[in-house]
Amino acid sequence: MTIQRLTGTSVQRVEDPRILTGRGRYVDDVVLPGMLHAAFVRSPHAHARIVSIDTSEAKVMPGVRLVLSDADLRPLIGDMTANGSAGLFVATYSALARDVVRLVGEPIAMVVADSRALAEDAVDRVVVRFDVLDPVIDMDAAMRDDAALLYPDHRSNVIYRTEHRYGDTAAAFADAAHVVHERFLQHRHANVPMETRGGVADCSPATGALEYHTSHQAPHAMRFQLSMILRQPAHLLRVRCGDIGGSFGQKGGIGREDIAVCAASRMLGRPVKWIEDRAENLAVGGQAREERLDVEAAIDAEGHLLAVRLKMVMDTGAYPQLGFPASGYTNVVRSLFPGPYRLEHYDFDAIAVTTNKGTYVPYRGPWEVETWVRERLFDVLARTAGIDPVELRLRNLWTDDELPRQSVTGVELIKMTQRDTLLDARDRIGYDAFRAEQVEARRNGRHLGIGFCNFIEPAPFMPSLIKAIGFMAAPRTPQEAHIRVEPDGSVTLFTSQQPHGQGHETTLAQLVADEIGIDIARVRVVHGDTQVTPFNFVGTGGSRAATLASGAVMGAARQVRDRILRMAAELWEIDVADLDIVDGAVVAIGVPSRTLPMPMVGVLAYTRPGLANDDGSLGIDEHHAYISYEGTWSQSTHCCVVEVDVETGQVKVLRFLVVEDCGRMINPAIVDGQVRGGVAQGISAVLFEHSAYGPDGRYLATSLTDYLIATANDLPHIEVVHHHSDPDDAVPFRGVGEGGAIGAPAALTNAIEDALVPFGVKIRE
Amino acid sequence: MTGPATTVEVTLRVNGEERSAIVEPRRTLVELLREDLELTGTHIGCEQGACGSCTVLIDGASARACLTPAFRAHGCEVVTIEGLADAPGTMSVLQQACMERHAFQCGFCTPGMLIVAAELLAERDDPSEAEVREALSGNLCRCTGYDSIVAAVLHAAERLRPTVDGAAS
Repeated sequence: MTIQRLTGTSVQRVEDPRILTGRGRYVDDVVLPGMLHAAFVRSPHAHARIVSIDTSEAKVMPGVRLVLSDADLRPLIGDMTANGSAGLFVATYSALARDVVRLVGEPIAMVVADSRALAEDAVDRVVVRFDVLDPVIDMDAAMRDDAALLYPDHRSNVIYRTEHRYGDTAAAFADAAHVVHERFLQHRHANVPMETRGGVADCSPATGALEYHTSHQAPHAMRFQLSMILRQPAHLLRVRCGDIGGSFGQKGGIGREDIAVCAASRMLGRPVKWIEDRAENLAVGGQAREERLDVEAAIDAEGHLLAVRLKMVMDTGAYPQLGFPASGYTNVVRSLFPGPYRLEHYDFDAIAVTTNKGTYVPYRGPWEVETWVRERLFDVLARTAGIDPVELRLRNLWTDDELPRQSVTGVELIKMTQRDTLLDARDRIGYDAFRAEQVEARRNGRHLGIGFCNFIEPAPFMPSLIKAIGFMAAPRTPQEAHIRVEPDGSVTLFTSQQPHGQGHETTLAQLVADEIGIDIARVRVVHGDTQVTPFNFVGTGGSRAATLASGAVMGAARQVRDRILRMAAELWEIDVADLDIVDGAVVAIGVPSRTLPMPMVGVLAYTRPGLANDDGSLGIDEHHAYISYEGTWSQSTHCCVVEVDVETGQVKVLRFLVVEDCGRMINPAIVDGQVRGGVAQGISAVLFEHSAYGPDGRYLATSLTDYLIATANDLPHIEVVHHHSDPDDAVPFRGVGEGGAIGAPAALTNAIEDALVPFGVKIRE
Repeated sequence: MTGPATTVEVTLRVNGEERSAIVEPRRTLVELLREDLELTGTHIGCEQGACGSCTVLIDGASARACLTPAFRAHGCEVVTIEGLADAPGTMSVLQQACMERHAFQCGFCTPGMLIVAAELLAERDDPSEAEVREALSGNLCRCTGYDSIVAAVLHAAERLRPTVDGAAS
């Protein structure tokens, strides 16, 4: 029997046997001898000066081992700050609040006790006196001249301004047949992984070595930052992750609690565990997406887009996330806004403000607002010009004979297949029939609507996009993989990916098995341990795995295969070209008696110096780096059909169709899962979710009964159709991690507005 | 240590095995399972009774273990995700169906989803898609959009239904 090629098939997940039987290992499952538990004293105020912190009563509570505030930590560790960028004000802050609190839930003190319950008991006995300051709770308030200042030394709540001009918008507007002005506001919502943040810090008093078990997308970035802030030598610092209960961007930064927990373990010489509760996660775990865009757009009489002026304001919350700078978001939005459409004249201004709210973090497609606003705009323009919205999009998409080219912002557009996905979506949804049905339904008092959304997803970011964004030091992003053949011929892959639901233990093993020619059961994928995995700042994020991790893995696997074949060639004195690896054994083509099974390959590689490696080193151990390149787009059209109950305002999503092109797929079921999950988050964000603040800056959505997430009853079956344009390069796979969440809000809100056309309703928020 | 003055002894059957622990009265069932009995398959997603990750069967009925005081389970029969298969190293029909349909991604909501699905399938072997969605609607999943979980439960139901000759297919 020949092992079938696994790549391209929905291989069952390697992760599932443990996950389905309750044997996964999430961070809260980590239990170490002598482990203590931490809980935090948090600010009840959005903005206040700390007058005093009295920990005396808490310190003598039963089971309490340590109570810390900034005064205790300050001599021992450094401060935190975010990545810088030209023109960006980046606040510096401490793990536990120093002098001023700037949002509800800000950590002020930490209690470490024998149990979580005892720690929480003691938290209630820490007495903090505040001098309450005026809160700054929205972007307009933040920009007012008389606004309270979050960082008085900076003299403004505006932390970033940028202006870009492409072409000549003034001339283009002068020629316009129609001009529209709209304001689009996206409400604040959050990632809300089912597993909250958390960690177990384990500092050995004998060696000073610190191990941090955590739930994180990027363990190497975590280690790098912990080392700097804790002033902990990196060779005495190891970050480990087991199974991770989702993240969606939230677990990519470094939390203040991470720092405090590690510092406490170092002080006590004992393991300290902190698991965020849901109220903490919703308030301070990270929030996203609060942006407002004022749009001015001009089209000619045929509906061709002539020019766009955008003015963006984003509310970054109180503290910069240690991860991705505020300027990064606005510049990605600027760079990607033209998307797959012709746009030659374009002005983009952005302002980022700081307010007394939760920290803005990346959330699945962090630039999603560019797609939402552009695709909303197309529907507004279509209605204004009296042109069908699908037709208007078709008229503005780049055509094949205009490509490849650079977009107006300098992004390379290669092999765009958006026209195909849009036309296919239109046909599959039965667009013409729907329009007839819609008219009929309206006569009967039912309000149906349809919405489309086109977008291109940089998966991964390509060099021209990174250059257009303009703040990263290196325009290209490398990724490494390391593969070792073990003494019994089984194979271990070390990846810098940090999967948290994406199934990389399966997909990357599929590639290794196929490239080497062995059974997938003989491949193990190792992640989540900075001591053994290749360095990478991003880990899993940015829809990078399909192209970059695959490229690295395939490269390393081919090197392993070559080395195995060369070993056999030397052993048998046969030309390498006459050898193959089939079903886990080296075979000589046309000589059935010659066979070298992988267990024998392993034994020989480790016992015969000089056989596997010319320099005499033992074993087979290959590293490969893969570097990003142009053209790595995933492309999608989303189409949504809704019915709106005009009495109650309730929206029912009747159909949701995604037609997408991510090149070839490694594991189609996993691709579909990524797409559907993203769409579900996008629908849920529009219909249910809101990280709401009261006028006094109180955070209002502290439970999952206040912060609503779509359930199985709220969502339709999500139809996914694949197109497969074959990328020209050696790695034909593109990422799909973010696209679902990027396209869904636009398709859904367009559908709702379409349903409500008779009422003249516009969806602006 | 001058801990709280009172503790209670809780004895219950978990996954068919008699277990007991001495706990504070404020200990929840999910803490008892995870910490005292080292059954970490049941997850804590919110401690607010809202997400469903901690769902277990208590005397055959699904319940939120994060809202159930441990002592309330005294004398009860509790089933957790670890007890769904007949024997260690095997999987139930439902679990196999989940594997075949790629039902889950991160796996954090999985214990609760499997428990409510098992409860549904114990009651009826021919649920409609709408009934499956209704049964799962008290449990939140952030990864999948639910399609794959619904498909897996329907697939499991199909396999559990007796065939014409009376045997489960």
